[in-house]
Amino acid sequence: MAYSESAWLIPLFPLAAFLLLTAWGRGFRRWAPIVGAAGSLGSLVLSILVMAEGVDYRDRINWIKIDGLSLSLGYEVTHLTSLMLVIVSLVSLLVCVYSAGYMKNDERITVFYGYVSLFVFSMLGLVLSDNMLMLYLFWELVGVCSFLLVGFWYHKPEAKAAAKKAFIVTRIGDAGLLLAVLLLFWYMPNHALDFAGIQNVFHGQSGAVDDGITTLIALLVFMGAVGKSGQFPLHVWLPDAMEGPTPISALIHAATMVAAGVFLIARTFVLFEASPAAMDTVAYVGAFTALFAATIALAQHDVKRILAYSTISQLGYMMLALGVGSMTGAIFHLMTHAFFKALLFLAAGSIIHAAHKQDIRELGGLGSRMRVTSILFGIGALALSGIPPFSGFWSKDAILSAALDHNPVLFVAGLLGALLTSLYMARLYFRVFAGKPSAASEGAHESPAVMLIPMIVLAVLAVVAGFADTPWNEWLSGWLLGGEPSAHDSSSPTVMIVSAAVSLLGLYIGWLAYVKKTIRPASVTEAMPGLSKWLERGYRIDDLFASVIVKPYRMLGTGAKLFDRYVVDGVVRLTAGAASGLGRMTAALQNGQVQTYGIAAVLGLIVIIVVMAGRRFWS
Amino acid sequence: MLASYLTMAAILFCIGLYGALVKRNAVIVLLSIELMLNAVNLNLVAFSKYGVVPSINGQIFALFTITVAAAEAAVGVAVLIALFRARGTIKTDEFDELRR
Amino acid sequence: MFDIEFNGEFAAFFVFAVLMIAGAVLMVSFTKVVHMVLSMAAVFLGAAGMFVLLEAEFLAFVQVLIYAGAVSILMIFGIMMTNHSDSRAETIKPLKETLAAVGAIALFGLLFYAIRDADFEGLDGGTPAQTTDNTLAIGQALFHNHVLPFELVSVLLTVAFIGAIALAKKEA
Repeated sequence: MAYSESAWLIPLFPLAAFLLLTAWGRGFRRWAPIVGAAGSLGSLVLSILVMAEGVDYRDRINWIKIDGLSLSLGYEVTHLTSLMLVIVSLVSLLVCVYSAGYMKNDERITVFYGYVSLFVFSMLGLVLSDNMLMLYLFWELVGVCSFLLVGFWYHKPEAKAAAKKAFIVTRIGDAGLLLAVLLLFWYMPNHALDFAGIQNVFHGQSGAVDDGITTLIALLVFMGAVGKSGQFPLHVWLPDAMEGPTPISALIHAATMVAAGVFLIARTFVLFEASPAAMDTVAYVGAFTALFAATIALAQHDVKRILAYSTISQLGYMMLALGVGSMTGAIFHLMTHAFFKALLFLAAGSIIHAAHKQDIRELGGLGSRMRVTSILFGIGALALSGIPPFSGFWSKDAILSAALDHNPVLFVAGLLGALLTSLYMARLYFRVFAGKPSAASEGAHESPAVMLIPMIVLAVLAVVAGFADTPWNEWLSGWLLGGEPSAHDSSSPTVMIVSAAVSLLGLYIGWLAYVKKTIRPASVTEAMPGLSKWLERGYRIDDLFASVIVKPYRMLGTGAKLFDRYVVDGVVRLTAGAASGLGRMTAALQNGQVQTYGIAAVLGLIVIIVVMAGRRFWS
Repeated sequence: MLASYLTMAAILFCIGLYGALVKRNAVIVLLSIELMLNAVNLNLVAFSKYGVVPSINGQIFALFTITVAAAEAAVGVAVLIALFRARGTIKTDEFDELRR
Repeated sequence: MFDIEFNGEFAAFFVFAVLMIAGAVLMVSFTKVVHMVLSMAAVFLGAAGMFVLLEAEFLAFVQVLIYAGAVSILMIFGIMMTNHSDSRAETIKPLKETLAAVGAIALFGLLFYAIRDADFEGLDGGTPAQTTDNTLAIGQALFHNHVLPFELVSVLLTVAFIGAIALAKKEA
């Protein structure tokens, strides 16, 4: 019992680490990784204890109380949140250990660990929050951390631009979330914002809140999730965010923060269940994003960008799962994805660390140079592609079977996405590791143990995590739903066979194209140069935004600037000019000649006399 | 007749005022001021005879005025001579010390 | 508008008035400084004449002595001692002169309006009681009622005398 009650301590370990690192500053370089990792380790240990205990617990204190309205700060431990706590603290611990090697020579390593600790604190706080407002606060805080860490190498102009883009684009979604919070506050009985209250009000459509409003709130919440989780059309920031250090990409932009959107929807799932329209929106946006991002990933050349689009695609799967009503499938995939995508990013970081290149056209033949990395990357790739028995297969299977139950169109889209996923992973893997070593690969060498060990841990998890919820052992879904009967039927063997076959087909095509060279990928590019260019630029969504939103907005800004410069400033200058002109005029009067002063005095005297004497005529 | 004397004094005063404000030679400015003082004297004496309470006091006042005017003229000319010695001119528009 | 009978006093007043106005206008409009002073002397003499008309004979005498005599001569001395380099052409400042003229004329207009507006009925011809001997009356008034101002004026004159010498001295 004691562990759940002290769950509020979990985010405080990284916060303490952050404060310590910020206070100590630069002179603390050698200790920074240890302090950062210790903070995450503390959180991890407590999280595991809380999760193992498996007791729901809730506590809160009043924060602001005005006239019967009260806002509270509180924490809530449920099975869902305790699972998220473990995932977040585990991945962050591994990333902290890994960064000790990866960021070893960086000048600002203390700052880096400070930011990471702050992020972990905010993320854990987000997970633990018991009400929407508090969740929103932490939601913004993780956004800030993401901004700081994407722009960590701020001397690179791309990193600066990417940080700004990440912040501004997610802000659009955050505005939606804020509106949702305000609407909830307005319409909820007693203005309650806590998740338990939301659960009670919306469960089984009690009718306390109008249907239209429910749909609106759900869609606005979804808008927040779209921004944070990089769903179409707000996905554009995520590929650019890869300018940040690679461990950050693994932690924030693959495993935890981007999954916050999925977590948010899972947390407020009852809202969506109350609104079929919102559910459908989530499902279709998710399925479209999954397919859409996978096609883009096929044409990218940067290792990290491929992985970023893959992340978007996988988040699309999670949204799809939520949209078809399989919350457990989404969380299951979130968990397995956190492990194998973090593994892939860390392995990619290892490649970049060794070869100092991240363009797959310049890499090649690294398999012989970096055997361990290549095996670990392979495990991650197989898990992502959904090859049994790796974890990705099980979670993807759960999603696909839920989609088939719901709507065959979504199932087909998911299946197609799975094919593309295994294809681009095969392309990435074979281009980087197979074949003859390229020039850039010549000097590459295996990464140090401090980087390999976290990857090995993640690889083990990527293999075994899938067995948490297999068709014959639905431990996770049962556990998440708190002993209720499983929401989705056990997946049919057909789905499993089909999805595995499709994934294997993708791998086979990739193998033919990039190892056996029976299919020349260049022939596709040559046949349709426009298409590949188009895909490479991500369907030119950025350009579309630039011309549809950014440019008119900039024109508006220019217009406002001109208005400000010529009209507002004009008035100001006119006032100033009038004053100074009057001053110059009167200064000319001040010529130091007594006679001029005398004339002025006489004229003034006459005016006074006229006024005094004239009063008798009109009064 | 009082009105005629007063009008006469007003004319003299205004001419003196004009001269004092316009003339560039400081001596003439002094002279114009004497003219204005004379106009005042004329008024005083006219009221001394035609006033509501005719009295010799008007003439006494005029006498004092003449005395003060004489002293003023003497000091004024002395100042102008000193000024001329220092600056080489007594043009009124050459002096704008008040500006500083 | 001037409702006055044409008698001897008026004739004399008219002559003196013409003399004074002509002198004053010439004083303003002459270009040579010495001429200005001379025309000014005519104004002073006219004023003395008017004092006689106003039955202030002593004052008329003082006027001639001090103004027409002393002050005019003093001014001529002043001009002579300061007029060495008067070769530069007069710079004309039309704005200044116009403004001064407007001011002076407007002031005259106001004064004239006030004089015309005032009610002087029954004030004509009233004569001071002591018309018998103007000088005696002045002396009595001066040494009875105005002794203190008289003494102060004597001090003022002395101070002005010393001050003028001190200012005009070579090593001032």
